[in-house]
Amino acid sequence: MTFLSALALAVALLVVAPYVAHRLRRRKAEEQPFPPARLVAPAPPKARRRSRLEERALFATRAAAVLFLAVLGATPFVRCSRLSLQRSGGASVALAVVVDDSMSMRATAGGSRSRFERAQAGARELLASAREGDAVAIVLAGAPARVVLAATTDLSAARAALDALVASDRATDLEGAISLAQGLVSSLPQVDRRVVVLSDLADGKHDGPPLGEGASVPVWIALPELATPAVDCAVLRADRNGPRVRVVVACSPGASPAGRDVVVEDEAGKSLGRATTAEGPSGQATVLLPSEDAAPARAVLVEKDAIAADDGAPVLPEAGRGAIAVVADSADEAVATGGAPIVEQALSALKLDVDVRPIPVFPDRAEDLVGHVGVLLDDPPGLTPEQRRALATFLDGGGVVLVALGPHAAAAPLGASLEPLLARPVSWTETKSIGADPATAVGELSEPARSLEDVAAPKRATIDAQDASAFDPIVRWSDGALLVGRRAMGRGEAWIVTLPFSVEASDLTLRPAFLSLLDAWVRSARERIAPKRSDVGTTWRFPGARSVEVQGPAGAVAVSRDDGVAHVSPPVIGTYRVAVDGKTEARVAAPDVRELDLRPRAAAASTQGGAMGERRAAVDVSGQVALALLGLVALEMALRVWSRRKVEAV
Amino acid sequence: MSGLRPIRKAIDWGELAPLRLRARRVAEGVYAGMHRSARRGAGVEFGGYREYVPGDDLRWLDRRSLLRHDRLVVRQFETETDRALCLLVDASASMSFRGPRAPGAKVAFAGVVAAALARISLASGDPVSLTFLGAGGVSVPRSVGNEQFERIVAALEAVEPAGDALLDRAMLDRALQVLARSSRRGAIVVLLSDLIDLPELAAEQVAAIATAGRVLAVVQTLDPAEVDFPFSGTVRLRALEGGTVVETDAESTRDQYIEALEQLTRGWSDAITRRGGRMLRVTTDADAVGVVRSVVEAVR
Repeated sequence: MTFLSALALAVALLVVAPYVAHRLRRRKAEEQPFPPARLVAPAPPKARRRSRLEERALFATRAAAVLFLAVLGATPFVRCSRLSLQRSGGASVALAVVVDDSMSMRATAGGSRSRFERAQAGARELLASAREGDAVAIVLAGAPARVVLAATTDLSAARAALDALVASDRATDLEGAISLAQGLVSSLPQVDRRVVVLSDLADGKHDGPPLGEGASVPVWIALPELATPAVDCAVLRADRNGPRVRVVVACSPGASPAGRDVVVEDEAGKSLGRATTAEGPSGQATVLLPSEDAAPARAVLVEKDAIAADDGAPVLPEAGRGAIAVVADSADEAVATGGAPIVEQALSALKLDVDVRPIPVFPDRAEDLVGHVGVLLDDPPGLTPEQRRALATFLDGGGVVLVALGPHAAAAPLGASLEPLLARPVSWTETKSIGADPATAVGELSEPARSLEDVAAPKRATIDAQDASAFDPIVRWSDGALLVGRRAMGRGEAWIVTLPFSVEASDLTLRPAFLSLLDAWVRSARERIAPKRSDVGTTWRFPGARSVEVQGPAGAVAVSRDDGVAHVSPPVIGTYRVAVDGKTEARVAAPDVRELDLRPRAAAASTQGGAMGERRAAVDVSGQVALALLGLVALEMALRVWSRRKVEAV
Repeated sequence: MSGLRPIRKAIDWGELAPLRLRARRVAEGVYAGMHRSARRGAGVEFGGYREYVPGDDLRWLDRRSLLRHDRLVVRQFETETDRALCLLVDASASMSFRGPRAPGAKVAFAGVVAAALARISLASGDPVSLTFLGAGGVSVPRSVGNEQFERIVAALEAVEPAGDALLDRAMLDRALQVLARSSRRGAIVVLLSDLIDLPELAAEQVAAIATAGRVLAVVQTLDPAEVDFPFSGTVRLRALEGGTVVETDAESTRDQYIEALEQLTRGWSDAITRRGGRMLRVTTDADAVGVVRSVVEAVR
């Protein structure tokens, strides 16, 4: 600020002048002698009453006029600060705006506005300074990073897309968003290209490499004031088991989740129980409810913090981790291993987040498989009709089955078959070629399949060519026959291996690829039977589903399809009603713990905008101030006229 | 006493010349036996009846009328009497007031009127006395002759209005005692005062003078500003007696003040006329000749 602007602003001190004049005008009346004064009734001076009413409005008007006069005198030295584009040589600009819509942007940015609203306003300011010929793209940085608007010169479409943005509770993917944004503008004809990031830079990786470093397109972090540290706590989950509700609370780094009050409320907001989180890093509290009534309830943090959206979570019945049913011949296996079948031991050794439950035979009823995410059948001697119906129901419901074919499968008794997996009988034959062909391996087994190159198996199961064609091969034998394959059935999936898991039949189970096979299969099973609670932004996939409808806290959620598979990404925290082929279930999107870390990530020096000369722009407001001053003068005149008329009426 | 001006210059004697002739005719009654007095009172020739008022001599109560009509009536007789003039001039602090439109202070105007009345009376050969109500004047005993006029004028010129009648309740009593000693039956008592800051029962005390065969005239002497309250806007007024200070809005309280002044005057007028006295209200911007003539008319 220069001396002249300071001098002009000093005129604002004259705001006290109307007040001083008012006091002088209202000084006590001069005393004068009047013998019959005792006959005069004292009265509140009418002039003073009137002047009080009149001068309150007049004083405010005059004071405002003086202030505006001072600002007017200071302009153009005093200017409003707002974002705008500056262009080198007046050329058109290709601009990709990255708006962070992650949960951390729900924190307030000073005042009542949230960081997201400030970022949205900043984007509008940028668009307001765009000219015809400028290309604009909009990318959202909430995970996964998404393109809202591909690069376009239609500025009205960009404004409409910007106005339609809403805040979400997603995690942050700033690097992905910047990468997307760079890709959107890098091939545009405009010479002047830039990526503008409107974010608080809190992506949970505060110690990561500086953002924008070595970027192919210049990156400008336009609102650094958003990157202010704050403290936030969230209810990650609230699980109910009988009358007890276990609430898990997490807080930003540096803030302890212990000692925080948690209340469980019913739908009407009535408190059902209260507890305080225990000491320790986990921040757990157990709230005891008055009854085991399974009415909908919500666990809420009492203390308010930076983000209110994550201070509550719905209470859900406590669910298990999911289970894998293993049907294997434990008697034969025990001879070889001296304990549990080798497949059970392998599943345990993988330390997967599932329970392994050995069952003697495949159940006849589908209800017996409730709670299981997958069934592993090791060399089954065929399936009875009841078992086949139960298997079909399990697969239609999204279950995943792994069948290892061996001599028992080939010697299935009359009436037993492996339908609906295989329509034709299986044969147990001599192996013509030795080992698998690693080059045919795909997916997770593409690398581990090398260990199967010399797998020793004197015999193998051979399936009919038509049956084999229904499976997508994962690994083939060196002669092209199917070794491992998978096929979708209903909402579920069936995996097949043409070797049993017995060490007597082959050394498959001794190869590293065996563990990779089990790992991949279990992961597939867990993906298909999604847990009831998942992090917000995590994609829910519905393979095989014909119709999917999702209703979330903010209304219907759009369902996308990728290769025919429906998938949904819940944008905000809360409970969702998911209808899959007419069957409805409830799912919960919980806060991503990474979003609780509100520490900003470092940014490269080149992102500050100073070098690009576009960080801040000056807007002369002299015209607006002058208009306001004229309005105030008119208002004062109107007040005077009104006051005079009132006096005359009195 | 800035409001006082030389009183000899203040009076227009030419205007009073007819008044002097009238006064001389009234004064003729002073000399007993020479002419009849218009005054009713003790005497030998019956002069009629009138209603009894407290203080009347019970010797003249008509018993027959009481028995026949159940009314208290006294008989009156024409008499020859003394026509001395007793002047009572208010010289308290409030009389020093002079408003912007007034030719002089109230006490100055009262002095002019008093001197004129004294000259008229002395010219008729009647004795004149002067008493002050207040702390700043020296009374002049009853006497006759041109020298008496000079003494009265000198006393009026030397007076300095002072004293607070509201605080000094005995001030009025002292003045009335001096007046009672100097005025006999048939005397004319003229009180020149603003009547503003006198004690609560002053009207009754003054009115009692009229009961002993005396003629009482009370001349309420006010400044024009005290009559029409010419202030505007917010004013802060201080009384010269009693220490009252009032801050008020002139426009909104003017009517109330005028009504209060009228009520004060009405109270005095009722008390004075009930005892047979006369009450006049004058302002200091009025013609002094007219005022003196009104007083003479009132006491005839």
